[in-house]
Amino acid sequence: MQDQLSSTFAALADPTRRAILARLALGETSVTELAKPFEMSMPAVSKHLKVLERAGLIARAREAQWRPCRLEAGPLEEAASWIEEYRRFWEQSLDRLDAYLRQMKAARTKSKTRDSGKKRSNTKSKE
Amino acid sequence: MAQSANAANPATEFAFSRTFDASREDVWNAFTQPEHLKHWWGPPGSRIEIVHHELKPGGLFHYLMKFPDGRAMWARFVFREIAAPERLVWLNGFSDEHGGLTRNPWIPNASYPLETLNTLTLAEQEGKTMLTITAVPFHASDEEAFVFAGGINGMKAGFGASFQVLADYLAQRRRP
Repeated sequence: MQDQLSSTFAALADPTRRAILARLALGETSVTELAKPFEMSMPAVSKHLKVLERAGLIARAREAQWRPCRLEAGPLEEAASWIEEYRRFWEQSLDRLDAYLRQMKAARTKSKTRDSGKKRSNTKSKE
Repeated sequence: MAQSANAANPATEFAFSRTFDASREDVWNAFTQPEHLKHWWGPPGSRIEIVHHELKPGGLFHYLMKFPDGRAMWARFVFREIAAPERLVWLNGFSDEHGGLTRNPWIPNASYPLETLNTLTLAEQEGKTMLTITAVPFHASDEEAFVFAGGINGMKAGFGASFQVLADYLAQRRRP
């Protein structure tokens, strides 16, 4: 079984499905309304809706005959919070990397200065 | 160089970049050599103990993160693609002491992916190095990598106008 997050991202991978979600973010609406902006057959739109429904990103009302679709924000919020967490993880890691690279560079510059210092003193002693 | 960074960062992926004042060689080595990794890899305040590190496709990097409060947890990389000093692809996950894949022992959230597929791209720019990381949740049962557009921040950069609407919607809901 796929975890929720993978299903969410798989569902989001398609631009038509993202556009459908964006439309639903404005409020619930019918399948016919949803299909309007797309040059797509109704069955094709229905297929996308099924994917979104299976992923739990939308819900379709049972009561009304026109079965309006609405956005379910839970999985999207979960996806967003996972991404936030992962982003934080990487930001912190790269902060440490940055500090380490600076250290490496400073150590190298130091040893270079020391080396050239040595050379200079060698030349001096020769003189 | 900038082009290869762009190629690794299509509009539909979760990605972010940072520029380091270091050569590409140094950044690559810091990421791929245990003697460097042990100095910086891991959450802030932690130290890592590397028990295995084999930089080859399918190779394992297995390590223990130790925290100041005495807690510790195992984690691992499984390398997939290695193209020094430009591109590294690996699966990132938590593990047990034998290197077997596990959930995060502290946050065993079943909806989170077990592994994440990461791609590191390094581009040299006038003596500095631009690092780009892209990440996707990875599900072992279907070997395809999911191409997805990323979270609230990623949305701004990647998802474009349609997703901005969603981002706004989510932000609205968060407001009390």
